[in-house]
Amino acid sequence: MAEVLQQLINALLLGCTYTLIAIGFNLFFGALNVVHFSHGDVCILGAFMTLILYGLAKFLGVLTFLPGFLFVPLLIIMAMALTGLIGTFFERVVIRPFRYAPLLMVLVATVALGMVIRETVRLSFPHGSNPQIFPRILPQASFQWGGVLLRADNLIIFGTTIFLISMMFLLIKRTRIGAAIRAVSQDTEAAAMMGINIDRTVAATFLIGSALGAIAGILIGAYNNIIRFDMGLMGGVKGFSAAVVGGLGNVYGAIIGGLILGVVETFAAAFIPGGTPYTDVFAFLVVIFFLVFKPSGILGEKVYEKV
Amino acid sequence: MKGFRRYLVLFLLLAIPILLISSNGWAQSKVVKIGFIGPLTGPNAAQGVGARNAFDLAIREANASGKYPFKFEMVALDDASDPATGVAAALKLVSDPAVAAASGHWNSPVALATIHIFHTYRIPFIVWGAIHPDITGFYKYPGVNRVAPTLVQENGPLCDWVIGELGYKSISIISDTSSYGEMNLKAFRPMAEAKGAKILSVDSVTVGTTDFRPILTKVKGLNPDGLYFGGVVMEGALIRDQMEKVGLKKLFFAISGIKDDKFLEVAGPSGEGVLTIKPGRPIDKLEGGTRFVRAYEGAGYREPFGAYGPNAYDSAGIIIEAISKTGAEDKAAISKYIRGIKYKGLMGETSFDATGQTTNVMVSRFVGQAGKWVTWEESEYHKGARQLPK
Repeated sequence: MAEVLQQLINALLLGCTYTLIAIGFNLFFGALNVVHFSHGDVCILGAFMTLILYGLAKFLGVLTFLPGFLFVPLLIIMAMALTGLIGTFFERVVIRPFRYAPLLMVLVATVALGMVIRETVRLSFPHGSNPQIFPRILPQASFQWGGVLLRADNLIIFGTTIFLISMMFLLIKRTRIGAAIRAVSQDTEAAAMMGINIDRTVAATFLIGSALGAIAGILIGAYNNIIRFDMGLMGGVKGFSAAVVGGLGNVYGAIIGGLILGVVETFAAAFIPGGTPYTDVFAFLVVIFFLVFKPSGILGEKVYEKV
Repeated sequence: MKGFRRYLVLFLLLAIPILLISSNGWAQSKVVKIGFIGPLTGPNAAQGVGARNAFDLAIREANASGKYPFKFEMVALDDASDPATGVAAALKLVSDPAVAAASGHWNSPVALATIHIFHTYRIPFIVWGAIHPDITGFYKYPGVNRVAPTLVQENGPLCDWVIGELGYKSISIISDTSSYGEMNLKAFRPMAEAKGAKILSVDSVTVGTTDFRPILTKVKGLNPDGLYFGGVVMEGALIRDQMEKVGLKKLFFAISGIKDDKFLEVAGPSGEGVLTIKPGRPIDKLEGGTRFVRAYEGAGYREPFGAYGPNAYDSAGIIIEAISKTGAEDKAAISKYIRGIKYKGLMGETSFDATGQTTNVMVSRFVGQAGKWVTWEESEYHKGARQLPK
């Protein structure tokens, strides 16, 4: 029983990493009807930003006078800001030119952007093809609770995911910019006539989405202790799958979709004999099942044009 | 008349070098050529050049000793780590009637391509560096032997150590799904069971996986004494780290694929007390090692002899001894002599089993201690100052 509980915790955490990426997909899709396929790569870019800033801080000796509990949030906020700005830049040069073009074009453009991000990271990082060690920025403490082992870093990852999701929800439903995003999403022209600055709203969406993605990347790095330049590809596909399973454009859908994928993968590895190498196969079988029988996802309301 | 004299002078000028060469030949005893092939250019050139120098050193020493009725001559050819280039080099060697035997290859794909040529032309061949098990174990050519232990053979000493000496009897296995991982699994399991170990679980993982918690949580439920990993650095380090994270505080031991500083860097504090092995011994721990190093330096080679220098050196020694006993003409006799040899060389006593594989498997044992790989014999774990997980 303790083992099943422990496996559930494993599944929950894996689900969290998928959920964090899926939120970004849902934000972009919900606000702009855009599937931003390089979002996974932007997330991992956030982790690499952290790595660069960490290296810089170490080089400058910041760690010697700044305690860890102040340094780590500062590090994460800086990486978020940088990644958010880069995300906005990507929107400006890659996605905006296709605003009035068929959806397929922006789709292909973002796939290409993903390649550009991955290869840039690979080529500009020393030994970029190899996995990079991610610093242990989260506390490593652990304690037994019954037969179950709880870890501080896992709790932080779980808590952060919940916090970010609720923040996202509040942002979309309760703030001015959220209202603007929803307005642009429902009818761009009407929103423009009401005096909403479309370019600025879209840019803000990408700033927020990419900054959130950076946290996803950082938590994935902290969970695995390594990051690799091409992790964003699989992460993006899994995050997108989670969004599809949960219902594209629905914030809660991302949670449900992420958890389903996490549970399927973890339990396939744990309880199917010899199933470990095939976890991805089981995960994508579930995705195919949903695409065939419930293409709008569990919480999806309308069927948009499918990718 | 004047024209004729000019031709005569020209003829004599041309004849002088020819006369010099042939007279030189007459003065010496019979020349026996020994082929050497290795990656002398390309990404693995450091391995090939070092081995060639060591091979050359053995031949020079044999010639200088004056014990042999032949003058040995090395014919060194480049395989550039490329099977096609290797095959061309092998064909060049076997079509030279003066070549009595040959040794070659650091890259397994190259060796797997050329051994058929040496077998077809009945030229005795010793592999000095390539480690794929099939080179000897699958083809079993009577004329092809190998002085380098295969990656599978490393599992033997590892079993002897961890299961035999240290007494870890219930083991869970994780290997990766690459051919390296599968071969390790195939080799380790029967060896461990023969030593009396109980295998509690076997899992394989794809290379590139980063989350091993589901498997490790399952393994934790089985409560083994130790976890064996047959794979390489990155997955090994992540598994070791995540063992701690799921609370599986047991012994982690693995094949030489993880013996890299990167492993300890990624595993961090959890690298403490990890056991692994590495084929070969440090040169100063070998009998005659210091003499070899001094001779190598004295001979004026610019490149270091590398990890496989001793292999190539002994490989040349084995060929020279065989030819001196059987003569250079009867290739089958040379092959037969090599297969039955008990050769005392730099690496200790080398002999070959029925497939032509060396039975001389030297490994060094290592344990992760304070962020470094320390040889077991010199470690605090061996001395009792630190304890392995039990």
